[in-house]
Amino acid sequence: MASLSTSLLTAVQSLGAASGALQVTNNNIANANTPGYSRQVAILQEAASTNDGGFSVGNGVVLEGFQSIRDELVQTQIQQETQTQSGANAELASMQQIQPTFTTSSQDIGTEMSAMFSSISTLSTNPTSSADGQAVLTAGQNLATAFNTASSTLTSQQAGLNTQVGQDVSEINHITQQIAALNPQIAQLNATGQNGGTVEDQQNQLVLELSTLTSVAVTKTANGVTLTTGNGTPLVVGSGSFTLSTTTGSNGMQQVLDQNGTNVTASLTGGDLGGTIQARDKTIPGLLTQLDTLANQFGTAINAAQAKGFNQSGSAGQDFFNVPTTVAGSAAGISVAITDPSQIAASSDGTAGSNGNLANLSAVQTTTLPGGETPGNTYANLVYQVGSLTANASAESGATTASLLQLNDQLSSVSGVSIDQESANLITYQTAYEAAARVVSTIQGLFTITLSMGTAAAE
Amino acid sequence: MRVTNMVPDIQYAMQQSQQALSAALQQVSTGLRVNQPSDDPTASANMVVSLAASAGVDQYTSNISSLLPQMNTADAAISSIVTSLNTAITLGTSGATGTASASNKQDIAAQVEGVLSGIVAQANSSFQGVYVFGGTATTKPPFVAASSTFTSAQGSAGSPLAATTALTAGSITTISDATTGDTMTFKAAAGDTVATLSTAIANAVAAGTLSAGTSATINASGQLAIGTNSSSAGIVVSSNDAALGSMTATAGSQVANAYAYVGDSTVNTVQVGSAMNVASSISGGQLLTSGANVIGSLNSLITALQSGTSAQIGAATTAVSDALNHVSQQRIPLDNSMGRLNDQESYLGQETLTLTSQQTSLVGANLADAATNLSRAELVNSAVLAAAAKVVPQTLLDYLK
Repeated sequence: MASLSTSLLTAVQSLGAASGALQVTNNNIANANTPGYSRQVAILQEAASTNDGGFSVGNGVVLEGFQSIRDELVQTQIQQETQTQSGANAELASMQQIQPTFTTSSQDIGTEMSAMFSSISTLSTNPTSSADGQAVLTAGQNLATAFNTASSTLTSQQAGLNTQVGQDVSEINHITQQIAALNPQIAQLNATGQNGGTVEDQQNQLVLELSTLTSVAVTKTANGVTLTTGNGTPLVVGSGSFTLSTTTGSNGMQQVLDQNGTNVTASLTGGDLGGTIQARDKTIPGLLTQLDTLANQFGTAINAAQAKGFNQSGSAGQDFFNVPTTVAGSAAGISVAITDPSQIAASSDGTAGSNGNLANLSAVQTTTLPGGETPGNTYANLVYQVGSLTANASAESGATTASLLQLNDQLSSVSGVSIDQESANLITYQTAYEAAARVVSTIQGLFTITLSMGTAAAE
Repeated sequence: MRVTNMVPDIQYAMQQSQQALSAALQQVSTGLRVNQPSDDPTASANMVVSLAASAGVDQYTSNISSLLPQMNTADAAISSIVTSLNTAITLGTSGATGTASASNKQDIAAQVEGVLSGIVAQANSSFQGVYVFGGTATTKPPFVAASSTFTSAQGSAGSPLAATTALTAGSITTISDATTGDTMTFKAAAGDTVATLSTAIANAVAAGTLSAGTSATINASGQLAIGTNSSSAGIVVSSNDAALGSMTATAGSQVANAYAYVGDSTVNTVQVGSAMNVASSISGGQLLTSGANVIGSLNSLITALQSGTSAQIGAATTAVSDALNHVSQQRIPLDNSMGRLNDQESYLGQETLTLTSQQTSLVGANLADAATNLSRAELVNSAVLAAAAKVVPQTLLDYLK
């Protein structure tokens, strides 16, 4: 038959279990708002029963330990979605800074181009007018400045992104070192059959931070995580982290090298680094090439029209624009070559009052450039591309934000701390503790009565 | 699903509703649906093309506004010339009658001289510094009193010019003949000399461009003298050749009632539509000195009145009448052009409206829709905020004692 001592032991075990559960609840409440924290639960198990006089008698509760509640699949999805979102955000941020240059204003390329052709048309009504000729020169300078400004916006944005590449690589190295440092601790916990708990939470949070920087493949093993970039370049294996480095490439841009010195720049996708490299090496150069081509072909076409006529002195028209010899850098380098209105080749026959060649200059507006479109349509296409790239990046950013919210809700439903639930648990475990304490108190009373049985009879 | 924390969802909902509110507010405040290319890339690109078209239409309208006053000036001048020619015809008719005395004819001749002078003044009309009958040469009066001889600034008795004196390559010397109404233009090539110019003049005489007798010689002062060798034939000479210096009329050589056309025979055309160009004026040479020559016919009438018979006066008057018809003929294309410009101005006004409408539909916001969107966004934002205020503070702890 069960003794009072056995019952007391059962009650004390119960007190310990309730106390442990209260500690877990306390920790959950404390970390309710800690990023990356996974709620923990106390693992309570019924103690093995004993056979007492042919009866199986329960022996209370045993606190087996604590367990963090996680959903690895959702966690992986969040990491992947974060990579996509950060990449889209990086592209969006750069496009949002580029876009105003191509937005219709009083100084954009399209407006300045129209203004130049308008000034040429005005000059045709009075080709000897110095004021009207000066207006053509001013309009030409304004257009050249608009090209210069657009090019400068693109190249300075590219330079800013180039700096960002170095910062991202430095940040990635810092985080991979921290992740690698946690691997031995996790391996040790796994070896002793314990839950990863706080250490694993910290590592998951670091992997998530790493996902904001670049696309990584995560493999979980008993020795912690193994991280590689999208193309398999190892970043973390066991306790070792493999640093990335940067070097200035032949194009003047920072190139990312793996631990073997191999250039892995083109293979880095996703995250801020992937988005930054995409914008720096593909999006902006693409726009810059189109802008340079437009400036080069437009300037060349105007110069060709100018060469068909004669200036106010009767001399053959000289170049109106200084156009760089190569397409690359044309938007940055284009400038007005002539300084005097009398050098505009308005005349078609060498007489000062003729406006015949202004028709050739005006015709550039409706003439197809070697690129296959008129100057205006070429610029309109460029505006479309800037708008489209910005809109696509914005849409992707918005979509991943919504998707991430949903995934985080999913993860939170598994791993998140509910203050209400924990409050209820607090009451539950408090009650359990109080009840166990009452059992102890009751047994103590029984002990006292039992011990005083003889004494009372003697009196 | 287990819900642990509603704050991220509430923050997202607030962000979304505030973005919608901001977008709706921007549409209402700017009246534009598209404020940047990413709002609608296709509309933005089409807007670039449409704005360029608008700028073109505005420019065509501006060109018409510049041209019409010039053409009105030309038309008014031609109208005055027509009136003057009718006056001359009346005078010639009265001079041709047998009753007119020699003295009367002299008086009438003087009156016709006045008419000629008035016509030349009209032909030298300008609008804001632009001589409307100068052809492409609009910066100087197109009709200049002619003289029989012009001499160069360069050359002196001590250092005379010679037939071998080199001319400046690329320089231009023009000789406008009041009698023929033509102009000879000589552009010196490398190696050309005064002798080359003399030969060119001789060739122009042979071709009828210049009056017979016109030649270039070195005078006693060592200067180049270009003259008609006739007191009744006048020319106007100009040169930008530094080797010759400016050419000036020799004192006392001006020929009465002789005016040379020093303008250009071609006129500029101006674009006033995507496929429409109009001549900005008509050449004074074409108007007054070519075909039925107005100045020549008036000169003949003056000469006939001064010394001719009634029959000669009558014939000269008929020639003036022919010149009047010529002028009237020349006026027709000008008037037609003015009519086309007025029509085009109306069309461009319509085109401006069409393009403005197109641009509004491309990037403009429908104000009714925008206002409705704003109201809806305000409502949604208020609802989200109200819900957040209700939900966020609620916990079980509020109910525990």
